[in-house]
Amino acid sequence: MREADAAGAWHADGEVLAAYRDGRLDTAGRWSVEAHLTSCAACRLQARALVDPARLRRLRATLIEAVDVPRTGMVERLLVRLGVADHTARLLAATPALRGSWLLAVAATLAFAVLAAWVSRGPDATLGFLCVAPLLPLAGIAVAYGPGIDPTYEIGLAAPLRSFRLLLLRAATVLGTSTLLAAAASLALPRLGWGAAAWLLPSLGLTACSLALATTVEPLRAIGITAGAWVAALVVTVAPPEPSSVLFAVAGQVAFATLALLAATVVLLRRGHLESDRGFDTTPRFAARRLR
Amino acid sequence: MSANPDRVPTDAELLAAVSEGDPEAFGTLYDQHAPWLLVRLRQRTTNQDLADQIAQETFLVVWREAGRFRGRGAVGAWIWGIAIRRLLDAQRGAAAQGRLTGLLGRQRIPDAASAEEQALATLEHREVIRALNRLSPELQAVLQATVLDGLSTREAAALLGIPAGTVKTRAMRARARLRQELA
Repeated sequence: MREADAAGAWHADGEVLAAYRDGRLDTAGRWSVEAHLTSCAACRLQARALVDPARLRRLRATLIEAVDVPRTGMVERLLVRLGVADHTARLLAATPALRGSWLLAVAATLAFAVLAAWVSRGPDATLGFLCVAPLLPLAGIAVAYGPGIDPTYEIGLAAPLRSFRLLLLRAATVLGTSTLLAAAASLALPRLGWGAAAWLLPSLGLTACSLALATTVEPLRAIGITAGAWVAALVVTVAPPEPSSVLFAVAGQVAFATLALLAATVVLLRRGHLESDRGFDTTPRFAARRLR
Repeated sequence: MSANPDRVPTDAELLAAVSEGDPEAFGTLYDQHAPWLLVRLRQRTTNQDLADQIAQETFLVVWREAGRFRGRGAVGAWIWGIAIRRLLDAQRGAAAQGRLTGLLGRQRIPDAASAEEQALATLEHREVIRALNRLSPELQAVLQATVLDGLSTREAAALLGIPAGTVKTRAMRARARLRQELA
């Protein structure tokens, strides 16, 4: 089961290693191999024969690509100049790899805004629809940056920003851009009206609020608190029989724009709290590491 | 990297280069350590995709945290310390993840091999092998988590889904049983 080299040291031969991989060793044998492999370079080289080379190459290519980051783009430099931490900027910026997700997210958000403006005029507009309306763009953004689409998904997983914070950050940037786009479209085409932009402001306000809250409490709880406040506000302000609310009128829009600005200020001031997960003491340097 | 191209750089040298942001050294480190890591992860999970994902995350952490290796013990043991905690995290599910990450984040990853681990690495004694194999699966699991994987009592408790106190008593029982068998 084992052989000794010239110096008399113990080494695992190929047969033992294969038996280990296939789970054919008893406990003591398994433990011996595992403890030995962590410290013996010669046996580690032998272990290479145990793994499918294609699988090793695939993983290697992904990793090298992840660490071999391209130079920073314009968007990223702008974000960094605006005070966003460099690794956050990298995750947010529309690097070539992320452009697809970004476009998809903006398109989904704008499509939602048009749909919402249309539905709200029809007979289908209900309190329930109003409740979930601001959450729909979030879902679209989550899907756009999901595992199947976003090539940096794995990096996002390993990044010090945990996934909910990242989702909120991305949502805030996507919604901010979309709202500006919708507003610009409304200006250019007066007949379009303010409907589309008006549907995005509550989303933007709520997302920014969640993000601001996430600097003090767990992100998931922050989202819950914001969602609860939103539903409560709706229930209080919706005047039957019409399922409309002051929240969607001009006063509400102004309030949401102010809220978004305030929350953005809070996030900017407290961004240090957003980026360091409590107790998770890794120095967030990976994503922004540059080649020398 | 080295003046002599024939000389294979040691793990510690590779890690030092990685901490300087050298992607080539990172690639070499991957070539050395990815195979055994993948095989060993597959001993802990039947899900190959999960094993791949954990290995990938582990190497990303290595890339990011290479400078934090204290130079004591084997680099391989340090890498495994990262991987087993990532795996633990993934298996505990999203709900417990934040809590566990907080817990693990406060603890440094031990990079010095314990005396028991070193003994295991050169295990030859037939009696020891027999004694180990005769331990009940519960005691073996505790020994594997605390000795071989280098987990703390609390981490082992989280992994095995038993109270920390039980981990302690089982580890003591396992050691007592081994001593008794070898006496």
